[in-house]
Amino acid sequence: MTADGAALAAPGREAWRMFFRNKAAVAGLFLLIGVIVMTYIGPFFYTEDPSDIVARPLKGPGAEDVPLLGTDYLGRDVLAGVINGGSTSLRVAAVAALLIVFIGLTVGSLSGFYGGRIDSALMRFTELFQVLPALLFSLVVVALFEPRPLTISIAIGVVLWPQLARITRAEFLRLKNQEFVKAAKAIGASDLRIILRVILPNALPPIIVATTLVMGSAILFEAALAFLGLGDANNVSWGLSIGLNRANFLTSWWTVTFPGLAIFVTVLSFSLIGDGLQDAFNPKLRGR
Amino acid sequence: MARIAQSLGLILAVIVLNFSLIQLTPGDPAVVIAGESGAGDPALLAEIRADYGLDEPFVNQLGSYVGRVVQGDLGESFFFNRSVVSLILDRLWPTILLVGAALLMAIVFGVLVGVFTARRPENPVSHFATVMALVGFSMPVFWTGLLLIILFASVVQWLPIGGMRDVQFDGGLIASWVDVARHLVLPAFTLGFLYIAQYSRLSRASMLEVLQSDFVRTARAKGLTERVVVYKHALRNAVIPVVTVAGLQFGSLLSGALVVETVFNWPGLGRLAYDSVLRRDAPVLLGVLLISAVLVVVANLLTDIVYRLIDPRIRVGG
Amino acid sequence: MKSLRFFLVVFAALSLFATACGSSADEITDSATDAVDAVTTDDAEPEAEEVVEEEVPDEEQQAVDTSLDEETLEELGSDDAEDAAVDTGPVSGGTLVIGSTQIPRHFNGTVQSGYATAVPGTQLNASPLLFDENFEPQPYLAESWEVADDGLSVTLNLVEGAVFHDGEPITSADVEFSVITARDNHPFKTMFAPVTDVATPDDQTAIINLSQPHPAILLAMSPGLLPIIPKHIFDDGQDMKTHPRNIEDFVGSGPFKLVEYTEGSLIRLEKFDDFFIPERPYLDEIIIEITPDANPIVLGLENGTTHVSATLQPAANILRLQENEDVVVTAQGHEAIGPVNWVEFNLADPALSDVRVRQAIGYAIDREFLADVIDQGISFPASTGIVDASPFYNADAERYDVDIDKAKALLAEAGYADGEIELAIDFIPGGQQPYAEYIVQALEEIGIDAELNVSADFPSWAARVSGGEHQLTVNQVWNWGDPVIGVHRTYLSDNRVGVIWTNNTGYENAEVDALLDKAGQEFDVAARKALYADFQDIVADEVPIYFLTQPPYWQGYQPEVQNPPLGIWGHMAPMHEVWLAQ
Repeated sequence: MTADGAALAAPGREAWRMFFRNKAAVAGLFLLIGVIVMTYIGPFFYTEDPSDIVARPLKGPGAEDVPLLGTDYLGRDVLAGVINGGSTSLRVAAVAALLIVFIGLTVGSLSGFYGGRIDSALMRFTELFQVLPALLFSLVVVALFEPRPLTISIAIGVVLWPQLARITRAEFLRLKNQEFVKAAKAIGASDLRIILRVILPNALPPIIVATTLVMGSAILFEAALAFLGLGDANNVSWGLSIGLNRANFLTSWWTVTFPGLAIFVTVLSFSLIGDGLQDAFNPKLRGR
Repeated sequence: MARIAQSLGLILAVIVLNFSLIQLTPGDPAVVIAGESGAGDPALLAEIRADYGLDEPFVNQLGSYVGRVVQGDLGESFFFNRSVVSLILDRLWPTILLVGAALLMAIVFGVLVGVFTARRPENPVSHFATVMALVGFSMPVFWTGLLLIILFASVVQWLPIGGMRDVQFDGGLIASWVDVARHLVLPAFTLGFLYIAQYSRLSRASMLEVLQSDFVRTARAKGLTERVVVYKHALRNAVIPVVTVAGLQFGSLLSGALVVETVFNWPGLGRLAYDSVLRRDAPVLLGVLLISAVLVVVANLLTDIVYRLIDPRIRVGG
Repeated sequence: MKSLRFFLVVFAALSLFATACGSSADEITDSATDAVDAVTTDDAEPEAEEVVEEEVPDEEQQAVDTSLDEETLEELGSDDAEDAAVDTGPVSGGTLVIGSTQIPRHFNGTVQSGYATAVPGTQLNASPLLFDENFEPQPYLAESWEVADDGLSVTLNLVEGAVFHDGEPITSADVEFSVITARDNHPFKTMFAPVTDVATPDDQTAIINLSQPHPAILLAMSPGLLPIIPKHIFDDGQDMKTHPRNIEDFVGSGPFKLVEYTEGSLIRLEKFDDFFIPERPYLDEIIIEITPDANPIVLGLENGTTHVSATLQPAANILRLQENEDVVVTAQGHEAIGPVNWVEFNLADPALSDVRVRQAIGYAIDREFLADVIDQGISFPASTGIVDASPFYNADAERYDVDIDKAKALLAEAGYADGEIELAIDFIPGGQQPYAEYIVQALEEIGIDAELNVSADFPSWAARVSGGEHQLTVNQVWNWGDPVIGVHRTYLSDNRVGVIWTNNTGYENAEVDALLDKAGQEFDVAARKALYADFQDIVADEVPIYFLTQPPYWQGYQPEVQNPPLGIWGHMAPMHEVWLAQ
């Protein structure tokens, strides 16, 4: 950990270079780009509507008259479901991530910056949410207020923010007594300005890393909620495909394998990227 | 200890939060009960509401609920005419068994893998392990479970793929433990897989750090065998962070248990919770939320204590 | 880089592996259709064969004549049943393992309806009567009975020497208590509503007095509907619906007694040695294993650890089991339940209040597609609210077979151009989603914009529908044997009480009210049939409900199960005659 404030300027070129040299991280980036392309550009090429009934139900890949990856319990195209399911999953996860970052940053920064009673209070508040059983709580929230994409995002956001708050707080605690912060105070900058313009940019590296991992968690959460039956049936998502086909999965493995694969690849890409960023920002912890 | 007082306050907050949330529910539990009876009429519904005290103002209900909880009464299930406490107690130990087994598996395998990959980074097994670690991290728990079920149901039938026991089981005590253990393998592995990944990386990192430290260099210089160095000194330092992290992840393990129990039909708290959400069985749901929170708090406290015991140099506070 | 290569290798291996497993599953689904073919070839009527061999049309849905009656139902799978019958006489002993996905709240059927309660409930409790495959009453706790000439009373003569599980004798006082409890607490109000009182001149005689003739009273004394519960245990002033003895230390009158109930998981029942039928039950023990879905049950049936199950949905499971030579699969049994899947309209909705719109929707939906394709031949089309197994079924009511052009014409006539109507379709969460999703597609064909309204769980859905917040909903309602019990409730104008599974459409037709009222008091079967025929015709014309399919209760069981529970009440009847061949 460098003690010199100046060297803590926002992640420099060196870090990015290290990132791109990390093969796994780059692979993750490519995977993510691939997923995004498939999700947003794919539908223009593969135009099958995922909610259309196209063939007999539960026909496997390779059977006659059947789309590439087979059909689900209603006779819908599994491949179309995979290609189109991404947009819902990604959207819900992204909104959740935004919420998590917003709450986490707010709570963490205020807590770390002001310390004392505010810190205590906010930390108690954080602990409250950390102690709640996450999936169960978001299950309850979604079950109470209908399963629409926004509700699901809120339900996920509400349980996953504590970790980000803690990281933010730790960074703020570390940085608030640095020289450059004292200097800013000396020249009379407002608290808000100091938090946002001075400390935050320097606190970014671990926050960015955590955010990528949070995206992965949010996707997994959305999938789990959809799998348990709390997804929006009008917008196909990967987790929902798996959940709806669950009764048939023993006889029709393709209905759950391919959407699951999509989830897996997406989360993997976020993990690889997050790892790469972590290594890039903290070369010492890399270990060979 | 101040921590214990804090923990109690925390639990109280949990109760209030959950109770309020569930009171907001748009679904009417009276309808559930009536619906489960097959039909109903307004008189029936009114009776049910009176029976269960669903008509009282919110504050009254909250107050009486908290009062009862303090006395150990978590109310009665809307769905089954049984006390919530007895329902939860029935399901508690299967969940603890599952989570405990998963955690144990994760720590043991995680540390083993981590140590191995730290010492022999170029070994093909290390590469495989690293890959598997990443894979485990990214696979949705339920998907892993479903795939394992497909594997063990259709391809190799070595292990039972659902439930906790053989219903017709008719053997002695030891044999019954073996039966449960056999049923435990797949669900525990599914749950633990994710954490094996994490812990292997964690222990690898700390293992590397320790192996390069002065402390170890001194030990080596003293002429202690490599084996002693690794297994006695470095290992201890590698395990500590894993154990602490594991303790703090108890909460997420419970979440994972919910999914695993649903996929594998494991009769634990998770399934009880999930079923009661769908049945709007508020007392049971509140009870499970509460117990989960209590378990997490207890796990945190225990972790603190264990941490302090293992490493008295570290002062925990503030 | 090495890590990445390994990753790709592993991934490739996994996919190959999955594909290898996959092909066998594929064959199953394909050959399942062949298997259904094979079973129906021998004795089935030509109509049945058409069902199975019909190629799935692409987007066009062709009408197929798939009327299947009870006989054909029996043919589907009964070949195996004949093979399984064993020549040696019944043997005592053994444990029967039943797989079920239904969770009972408790075991007292006088205050609770439904399959979940009735399966264990009918093993634990006896009723006055049993019913054979022709819906004819047979002696059980009542060794004889008499309906008065004026139809205003039914006299039951109880078996002598019958006792409860705690040794106390079963007397007419218990019958009186059970009937009155059911009348006052059971959700099916029409079942015992006309009962004024029950006289008990002596311990073995109970006379049920009625305020009007009530032919349904006999069927109401079925095991699942009128279990005789012990007055000396329950008559203590506590509310029957929440009485602790409904589940704790349950004492009943039936062939089996309760050993253990692990909520939501397992019910263990043991033979009651002092059961009033000598040398019954044959089985030593019954275990009901409860699972969240049917997958473990299917596996259990395949590997022999589960003996019988009637909760095998969805279709893929049933087809898979049909393929399996070791398991007997049949659609016989549970005819008295008579479940019907349908779409019901909220008549208060502006667009749906116009009968032409409803008829158009009827013409747009292809119920044969639902039965054949979505349900993969496991269910059968329904044309009225009474199941075709019932003597009161009217086969001639208007069916609204698929006719897209007619549908569009009707919509135009009603004044709705393409895309003007927007509908949100509700459905019972879980099992009915495929139907609802198909209906969305079908409505799109005729220019109606539809989407699903997903309820998170059953209570949310029930609240919406009973509160009239929906536009149209898919629903499943049971006939429960006699139309008075399960059919009337949907159409009577005075049953619009804001609770689920009553009159939730808002339908009001005085002629229908009168017909139903009369039919409910008519003892003569022919006369009753005529009245119900008229009723079904009117309902078909006015379409407050469009009927979709009748799903039979498919059962799978091991060949060694003798006298399997295939009666009209299926598993909701005592299994004292069931035995296991060794």
